[in-house]
Amino acid sequence: MSKGAVKQKEINKTIRAEDNWEPIGPTPMPEMSDLRRWDLRLMKTYKPFYAPFCDLCCFCTYGKCDLTEDKKGACGINISGQQGRWGLIFSLMGCSAHGAHGRHLIDYLIEKYGEDYKIDLGGQVDVEAPHMRTVMGLKPETLGDLRKGIEYVERGIIHGVSATHMGQEGSDIDFESKSLHIGMLDHVAMEVADIAQTIGFKFPTSKAETALSGLGWGAVDKTKPVVTCVGHNAAVATVMIDHLMKAGIYDQVEVTGICCTAHDNIRYSDKAKVIGPLSKQVFFLKTGIADLVMSDEQCVRCDIPQLAKESGSALIATSDKISYGLDDVTHKEVDEIVRLITQEGKQVLIRDVDKAGEVAAKVLPVVAKNRKKELVTKEKAQELAQACKKCELCDRVCPNFLNISTAVSDVKEGKFDMMTSVFARCVGCGKCEQECSKDIPIIKIMQAAASWDTYNIRVGRGPIQDVEIRKVGAPIVLGTIPGIIAIVGCSNYPEEIEEVAEIAEEFAKRKYIVVLSGCAAMAAGMKKDAEGKTIYDKYKPDFDAGGVLNVGSCVANAHITGAAMKVANIFAKLPLRANYEVIADYILNRVGAVGLVWGSYSQKAFAIGTGCNRLGIPVVLGPHSAKYRRLYLSRKEEDDWTVMDGRKKELVNTEEPSPEHLMVVTESKERAIITLARLCIRKNDTAQGRQIKLNHYISLYKQYMGSLPDDLQNFVRNDKDIPIVYKKEVSEYLKTVGWKPKPLLTLPTFIGTYESNIPIDAVVK
Amino acid sequence: MSLPYYHVNVFTGIKSCRVMEDPQPLAKVLKKAERPLMVFGPKCNEVNLDGKLLMEYGVEIAKTLGAAVCATANTKKKLLELGVTPDSTYDAVEIVNHLKDPNWKGVKKQGNHDFVLFLGVRPDLGNQGLSTLKHFATHLKTVTLCKYVFPNATFSLPNLKDDKWKEYLENLIQGLKS
Repeated sequence: MSKGAVKQKEINKTIRAEDNWEPIGPTPMPEMSDLRRWDLRLMKTYKPFYAPFCDLCCFCTYGKCDLTEDKKGACGINISGQQGRWGLIFSLMGCSAHGAHGRHLIDYLIEKYGEDYKIDLGGQVDVEAPHMRTVMGLKPETLGDLRKGIEYVERGIIHGVSATHMGQEGSDIDFESKSLHIGMLDHVAMEVADIAQTIGFKFPTSKAETALSGLGWGAVDKTKPVVTCVGHNAAVATVMIDHLMKAGIYDQVEVTGICCTAHDNIRYSDKAKVIGPLSKQVFFLKTGIADLVMSDEQCVRCDIPQLAKESGSALIATSDKISYGLDDVTHKEVDEIVRLITQEGKQVLIRDVDKAGEVAAKVLPVVAKNRKKELVTKEKAQELAQACKKCELCDRVCPNFLNISTAVSDVKEGKFDMMTSVFARCVGCGKCEQECSKDIPIIKIMQAAASWDTYNIRVGRGPIQDVEIRKVGAPIVLGTIPGIIAIVGCSNYPEEIEEVAEIAEEFAKRKYIVVLSGCAAMAAGMKKDAEGKTIYDKYKPDFDAGGVLNVGSCVANAHITGAAMKVANIFAKLPLRANYEVIADYILNRVGAVGLVWGSYSQKAFAIGTGCNRLGIPVVLGPHSAKYRRLYLSRKEEDDWTVMDGRKKELVNTEEPSPEHLMVVTESKERAIITLARLCIRKNDTAQGRQIKLNHYISLYKQYMGSLPDDLQNFVRNDKDIPIVYKKEVSEYLKTVGWKPKPLLTLPTFIGTYESNIPIDAVVK
Repeated sequence: MSLPYYHVNVFTGIKSCRVMEDPQPLAKVLKKAERPLMVFGPKCNEVNLDGKLLMEYGVEIAKTLGAAVCATANTKKKLLELGVTPDSTYDAVEIVNHLKDPNWKGVKKQGNHDFVLFLGVRPDLGNQGLSTLKHFATHLKTVTLCKYVFPNATFSLPNLKDDKWKEYLENLIQGLKS
C-alpha cells in the first residue's frame, strides 16, 4: 500500500521529522516493498541458490505435495518458491527472537527507569544507533524511542508472517525480497536490544580496552556454589548479581554462563565467567558443576529440566518464551519459592525479573551445600565404556559425522586420544547417547577426555567508537586496511572448535580488523599458543588494523554492521537518515567488510546474515549452513559486472566480480580463509589498496592451494594492482590467460544501474 | 533405496537415487557419458584406504574416464602434488551453481557436462548440492562414489565398510578400463 497523508503524518511524528539533525532521506520507516527495487538489483547479480532439504511441502491440508523438479503443489507453489518461503520463515524466526528479546528488555527497563530515560553511550559514541537512523530516520534519545524501534520491527514481522501463509506470496524472488527486509529489521531489533541493555545495566561503552574475563569450564571453581545462566537475556542475572553483592557473598560464589547471557554477565561484572559456546551446554550441565541452572531465552536446550534433574542441579526458568511445562510461581512470595526449590526440589518458572534474581541469589548457597561434584575419572570412563559393542548407531546419528564408536571402544581399552579429538569436534547435540542401545553416557565419558584448561575472553565492548571510525575510514575505503573480518554466530562447527581462533589469527596477523561476537567470540578465545596466550592476550582490542575485538553477545552484532554504516556517515559524510539504499550501496561497493558464520545453526544467524546481505556485506558460512537451503551466489565468469561511475555518470563494465557472492558456503577452513580474503576486494580499492589485498589473497591461496589463484585475472585491473613480491610470477600468469587491463573507476555504485528514485548525485559527496 | 548411513541425509521425497550394488553396471553407465566431470571434495585429502589415498582412486577414475577435474575446498594442493592440474577450482556450491545452467560451457569451455561424479564431499553438504542438481539440473546425471547412500544423486554406492569400498572402487576402475 502506498503511503497516504495519514500514514506519512504518523511516520513524521514517530521519527520527529521536525528534528533537523540530517535531512530526511527517501525511505523513512520503509515497509515491506519500499526497498524491493534494491533487492531485485542485488539479486540480479547475486541470484538465490536453492538446495532443498526436503522435496515436499507439508504446510497445509492439501498436502503433502511433491515439488520435485518442476512440479507444483496443490496451491501452485513450486520448489523455488517453497525454498524462498523457508528463507523468509527463518528470517522471521530470527528477527522475532531478537525483537522479542529487545521488547522484554525495554518493557522491563521502562518500568524501572521510565520511558524518558536517556540514551548515553559515552563520549566516544555520538552516532549511537546507525541502524535506527538509517532505516527508520529516527535518532533515538530515550528508552521510549527504542520502544518505537521495536514497534516498527513488530509491525514488519506481522506483515512478513502473513506472506508465508498458504495462498499468499508465490514468487521466490519476492519471498527473498521480504526475507531481506526482515533481515534488515533484525539489525534494528538487535541494535535496540543492545543499546537498551547497555544503558539499562550500565555495560561498558566508549571503551576499547575492556577487561579480560575467565573462559572455559576449567575456569570455574567448583568448590564454590555455582550458578549457570543459559541463554541470551541477562536481565535476571544482573539482578541476581546485585543481590549476591548485597548479601556480601558474591566473592564466595561462581556466576557462570553459557551462550550469550554469559557475554552480558561479564559485561555487567567481569568477575563472572564464561563456560563456553552453546555446543558445550549438554557437556557442562551433565558435569553437575552447576548447583543452580537459570534458563532465559534463545539457544537454550529444550531438555534443560531433564538435564538439570539428572545432574541434581536446581532449575529456575525465567522467560515465558521457555516455560517447560513448569509450575508458574511468579505470584508467590520469594521465601515460599525458595522453600519450594530448596526443600521440595521443585523446578519453577518465575516470570518476574526482580523476583527471579532475588530467588536465585537466595537459593544458590542453600542448594550448593549438600551437593557433591565429582567429575568422571579416566577409570570411571573406562568402566562406563565397557558395554560398547561398536554397533555404530552413535556414528550414524552424529550430525558432524564423528567416529564416536571408535572413540568409545578406545576408552574401553583405556585410550583417550580419539575421544579428546571427538570432543573437540562435538557440537553437543547428545543424539549419540540417545541412540546408544547400551545406554552408555557418552557425553559424560567426555569429561575424562576434555581439556580442563582456563582461557581468557575480552569483555564485550558494545559499539565501535566514532573516533575509531574517523581513523580507519579512509584506509578501509581505499583498501590499505585490507578488510574487516567479522566472525560471528553459533558453534555448529564442522571441525575442531580451535579453527575459529586459527581463522581469526590468520587475519589479525595480516592486519585486517577482526571483530567477534557471540559464541564465535568464545570459541576464538579457546586456543592458546606455545606461550599460553589466547588471541585476546596477543592482539590489541582496537577497531584498527590488526585489532581483535569482541563486541559482545548476539544482539551486539548490530554494532559490527553499524560500524560499516558509520564509515559511510563519518568518513564519507553520507547522511544516514532514512537513506538505506545509498548507505547499502556505499558499503557493497566500497567497504571491504565480510562476515564469517563458521558454525551457524540458528534462524537468528540466518536473519543476521540476510540483514548483512541487504546492507551489502557478504557472508561466508560453514558447511552445515547448506541446510539453510538458500545462498546468494554470482557466477563470476558469466555475470554482468557493470556498475555506474558516479563521478562520470557512465556505465562501466568492470568485468570484476567484487564482491563475488553475498552468501556462500565453504567446506573447509582453508577455503573459508581464501574466500574471506577474496570477498574483501572492492571496486573502489586504490592501486595501493588492491596490491595489499591481492598480496594477502595470493599469499593465502599459495599457502592453502599450492598455486597462484586461478581467478587472479578478474582482480588485476592494471599493472599497478600487482603486488611487487609477486610481480614476475603474476605477470607471466596473466599473459598465459590472455588478460587485458580493465577500466578503473573512482566511485562505483549500483545507483543508476536500475530504476530507482535515488539520483546518482546522492552517492557523491 | 537403502537408508542412508548418516541419518542427517534421510530422504524426504519421492525421487531418490538408484543404489548401484555392483560396480560393473555403474561402469557401463559412466562409459556412456560424453563430457563427464569429477568433483573432488576434501575427504579425498584425508581418507586412506589401506595405504592408498582416496584422491588417488578419484584421479585414476577421472583419467580412465577422461573426465574433467574440479577441485573444491582445499583439494587443489594435493591434486597438484599428485601431478594433476585441475581444470577448475571452485567451492562445492559454486560448481553446483554452474552445473545448473544447461548453457554453461563447462570447465573446459566445451559445453556443459552430462555426468558429474562426486568424491569426498562432506556427506550433508554433498546431499544438499545433489538436491540442487536433482531439482534444477535435469539435463545431467550425478553419481556419488563415497561409501554411503546419497539419496539425491542419480546413482549412489550402497553403504559400505572401508574394505568393501576399496574393492568397489578397484572393480569400478577395472570395469571402466575393460
